[in-house]
Amino acid sequence: MATSSTGSSDIALSTETIKSTNKLAFWNFVVAFAAFALALPMGAYQVLERSGMFPALENAAVYYASTSTHGVLMAYVLSTFFIMGFGYHTAVHSLKQTLWSPRFAWIGFWISTIGVVLAALPLLTGHASILYTFYPPEIAHPAFYIGAAMLVIGSWFWCVIMVISTVQWKKANPNKPVPLIMYGTVLNALLWLWTSVGVAAEVVFQLIPMSLGWVDSLDPGLARVLFSETLHGIVYFWLFPAYLVMYTIMPKEAGGKLFSDEFARIAFLMLFIFSVPIGMHHLYMDPMIAAGWKLLHMFGTFMVAVPTLITGFSIIATMEIAGRLRGGKGLFGWIKTLDYTNPVVLASTLSLLMLTVGGWGGVINAAYSLDALIHNTQWIPGHFHLIYGGTTVIMYFAAAYWLWPKITGHQLFSNKLVLTQLWLWFIGMWITTMPWHYLGLVGQPRRVDTVQAYQQAEELVRSWDFSMLIMNFGALILLVSGLLFVYILFMTAREPAISKADREVSYAEAIHPPLHVPTLLNSLAFWNWAMLIYLIASYGYPILQFWFIGTPESPAWGI
Amino acid sequence: MKELSEEEKKKILESSPKGTWVIMFVYGILFSLGFLYFWFELFVARGSIN
Repeated sequence: MATSSTGSSDIALSTETIKSTNKLAFWNFVVAFAAFALALPMGAYQVLERSGMFPALENAAVYYASTSTHGVLMAYVLSTFFIMGFGYHTAVHSLKQTLWSPRFAWIGFWISTIGVVLAALPLLTGHASILYTFYPPEIAHPAFYIGAAMLVIGSWFWCVIMVISTVQWKKANPNKPVPLIMYGTVLNALLWLWTSVGVAAEVVFQLIPMSLGWVDSLDPGLARVLFSETLHGIVYFWLFPAYLVMYTIMPKEAGGKLFSDEFARIAFLMLFIFSVPIGMHHLYMDPMIAAGWKLLHMFGTFMVAVPTLITGFSIIATMEIAGRLRGGKGLFGWIKTLDYTNPVVLASTLSLLMLTVGGWGGVINAAYSLDALIHNTQWIPGHFHLIYGGTTVIMYFAAAYWLWPKITGHQLFSNKLVLTQLWLWFIGMWITTMPWHYLGLVGQPRRVDTVQAYQQAEELVRSWDFSMLIMNFGALILLVSGLLFVYILFMTAREPAISKADREVSYAEAIHPPLHVPTLLNSLAFWNWAMLIYLIASYGYPILQFWFIGTPESPAWGI
Repeated sequence: MKELSEEEKKKILESSPKGTWVIMFVYGILFSLGFLYFWFELFVARGSIN
């Protein structure tokens, strides 16, 4: 049983520690948001091009290069660097201790950054137009894979620092519960270590040798299985910090307290365990995996709904408490009294609203039979944009608005513009993704650059027209909102300095602070063993079978 | 905004989040109805794959 009386909130950090952490967080955020700014116009271009309403924009080579670059920058670079910057800041301020080896952190930062630049070169020159998914036999230029591997390796440095920092803290504070935000952060680091093993194995043993011409063929089925081990866990790697902001920052910003610390820990552990060994729901239409394994992964995927629902309940309950403390009466009166002028509160509300539909869509995707309705259709980009671009990235905005003044020392530029930006993102995301969900249901394939290829089915294409028109407006709203976000951060540097008190970092308290936390809700070792066993059970034989059966291989395609 | 007394605050913190229960219940119903609609109206109704 881990116990705590006061935690460590009364321990002061040295100015030097705070400065060096701020610098580390700042530069990680700079890379993250620079990638975001670069990827934004590409996203808008793809929507306009794909709509078929702007013939001057139509160019298949540019579309595929742009889609690949947009996906890599948004899904891998924005997320990874944001998570690393947020994690370093969290480790120092929640544990109240100096970061274990800032030099190690900077080495990781530079490995990742150089990797991004290396991968960007073939992406931007059309030599890695493989749609940011690692699905051979499409093969990109080796620089893309080497760069992507460096990005992942650099992020492992972050994972190591998060784990060592937590272990150090646990040794110095025996039997005390790890602060909630750090417990979630270190679980996310472990999640990333486990889930990135699949893509790392695929890249190192299959894609790099193939792209360098060392081998003539590879097994695309094995590659897809390995990538699936990463493909779903990575979504929760992205989502974790969004939930952490809701659990540990929003309650205080809303003027209340967290509904339950234990609920949060249970949700984090369930997300950690259930989100990785379930990736074969991406392979329901693939013939090389037997139906029984797919069924197993389907049930595993449904289990992820449990921590998601726990999170939904806990966060809404936290908001209800805050709303009632602000004078809200009746069953729903608290909804009106919440402070929606606070960016974190507003973003959390909008994020949850997007999660309601995005999460439900995820269950449709996860259902083995229903997947046949929407597999490889435009529904899928609609779903993952609503979950990642919507639910997750809007919380990255919120975290940035909360952190930026603290790490730069300047007052946030125009709260009114901040709120406008968040609303525009929310509105733009719905207007973009709802037509995509519909288009998927009426049979529009994803990935392809133009609808021209389907002109032989005139009636079908005509049924897409209205949705294709609407999505253009959504994409342009998202572009405006995204650029506004970058503008606000940029302009904040010109704002007056804030006081030392305003730069203080503190996290929300639970209604009942965790004086006694069961050991399993504070442990790391047990859950790593559980993850290993679950992974072996769900992926062991499906991977080994490729050697037992001797499945056919394929030559490279795409160079 | 009226300032609440300490007793009122304590009561709020200790009370069950009734509004949240209702929201989760309604969401659960809509979630299930949406799933059933997809199953019966979009999936089963389209028939087998030929």
